[in-house]
Amino acid sequence: MLAVFRREIKAYYSSPTGYIFMGFFLLICGFFFALYNIWAQSRDYLSVLGNIAFIFLFLVPILTMRLISEETRQKTDQLLLTSPLSLSNLVLGKYLAAVAVFGITLLVTVLYPIILSFFGTLALAEIIGGYVGFFLLGSAFISIGLFISSLTDNQIIAAVATFGALLLMWILGWIQQGMPTDRVSGVVFAVLLVIAAAALVYFTMKNIYVSVAVILVGAAIMTLIYIINPFAYDGLIVKFLDWFSLLKRYDGFTRGILSLSSVFYFISFCSAFLFLTVRVIEKRRWS
Amino acid sequence: MIQVENVTKRYGQHVAVDHVNFTVNKGEILGFLGPNGAGKTTTMNIITGYISTTEGSVKVDGYDILAEPEEVKKRIGYLPEFPPLYMDMTVQEYLNFVSDIKKVFGPRRKQSMEKIMDLVKIGDVRKRLIKNLSKGYKQRVGLAQALIGNPPVLILDEPTVGLDPKQIIEIRNLIKELGREHTIILSSHILPEVSAICERVVIINKGKIVASDTPENLSRGLGDSRKFSLRIAAEEKQALKLIRGIPGVKYAESQGVREKDTVDILVESEKDIDIRRPLFYALSRAEFPILMMKSIDLTLEDIFLQVTTTEKEVS
Repeated sequence: MLAVFRREIKAYYSSPTGYIFMGFFLLICGFFFALYNIWAQSRDYLSVLGNIAFIFLFLVPILTMRLISEETRQKTDQLLLTSPLSLSNLVLGKYLAAVAVFGITLLVTVLYPIILSFFGTLALAEIIGGYVGFFLLGSAFISIGLFISSLTDNQIIAAVATFGALLLMWILGWIQQGMPTDRVSGVVFAVLLVIAAAALVYFTMKNIYVSVAVILVGAAIMTLIYIINPFAYDGLIVKFLDWFSLLKRYDGFTRGILSLSSVFYFISFCSAFLFLTVRVIEKRRWS
Repeated sequence: MIQVENVTKRYGQHVAVDHVNFTVNKGEILGFLGPNGAGKTTTMNIITGYISTTEGSVKVDGYDILAEPEEVKKRIGYLPEFPPLYMDMTVQEYLNFVSDIKKVFGPRRKQSMEKIMDLVKIGDVRKRLIKNLSKGYKQRVGLAQALIGNPPVLILDEPTVGLDPKQIIEIRNLIKELGREHTIILSSHILPEVSAICERVVIINKGKIVASDTPENLSRGLGDSRKFSLRIAAEEKQALKLIRGIPGVKYAESQGVREKDTVDILVESEKDIDIRRPLFYALSRAEFPILMMKSIDLTLEDIFLQVTTTEKEVS
């Protein structure tokens, strides 16, 4: 894992990628710091962290687009996959390298609150919490980018798809607002979910019986829930989308709330996407 | 050392490798021969664990590639068709990285790396970026990568493709030398290459093994005639008439005029009869000087056409 990590870090800085990422990140961050804190003569640094989250939309794709797609295109994956290196170590090494580049860049911005601290007292705990949240949010986005990079051998497609996926995260809140919250729509949504799960099973296993079994089990569970607690279906769509709302959880951090459940959520989110990435690479061998 | 049993690989409806069986003994160099798209690379990818089988099993040194992939991968050095090189690294960095992922550590590491670089002659480019190297050097770096960790099994997919003739000979000699200590599978579509290096040849077509023998037996057993190309200073019709009259000549055909006042003729004879002497005497008696006589070896295409048209299957 350490070998892959070192190689990736080197690859970031032997190409413009690492510098572009750091440059833009620090530029935007510095701009907002100047605008919000210096010109406005405010000591509210948390709102800077809250406002610059949008740069992930543009910078995470740059960081993650070539991580796995490039290996597939250059066929260097043949070296990695035929070596005694385990897949999870490979994926983890790559992920941690991207996170490290992001983390180092973020560390540079610590200068700003230090500068602020010369001119007044800062809410130190809240700022640390804000940084933790910002770091977790970025790490979660990087895990999405890494996953998408494993789906294609074309960097550009990976970058655009990652941008699209992150954009979806941003507008998830608006989508939520437009969704119906009544019980019928909840039931319909649950049915669609079960069908989607069955379809996924069918496409991965090509076995119609297992898919039918998934539908039957799903229907049974749905009925059971409906009998025990019909209220569970009220606003199901909104609740479901809530699970994926990274930004909503990040909001808490920018308001100075360091919630352990959010930290845990972000870590699970990253782990899930890393796991999916391993599965995608593994599946390529079998198809 | 390597047992490939009943290996099949399907991509949807397409069968890339169809119930392939063969074994490679310890210390043997096996040639894997076939036209493009025959399933050579797929089979090699399966043995190295890069892709999986649809059916069948592969065992290396007694370890199954599916059950104990890491044990198998530790024992194999693989040079794929396109050497898996990172263009943004120097040769030295790259080989260090490969040593890391192959878990070659300790004091022996540096020593063995020097040895490998000496062996494939890349010591003088160790500080250069791989993207700036020529095709021949890239191929050699690829080979060096396969040798790292001194694996007992080497799998080389068209190792001489894209090299110049001098490099081809160097790499062939190197492979022969490596064959003393390693078990090697080597794929190629060039017959002379395989007959020069390999002790045994497996010919594969459309995913099936169609022949498996030593190179000598293959060309002897499969060819039922010998071919010569002649250039004679004579008139075409007379020369053909004369040659066709020599006992043992099965077939003679003009190949046109390539040099002024001469004619090129392709002569085919029975396998067991050496017609070179009778040819010489007959032509010299008629005062048709022989300017060139060249034996045409059976090419892969010839052997290939024969094994594929007779549809003989060897398991």
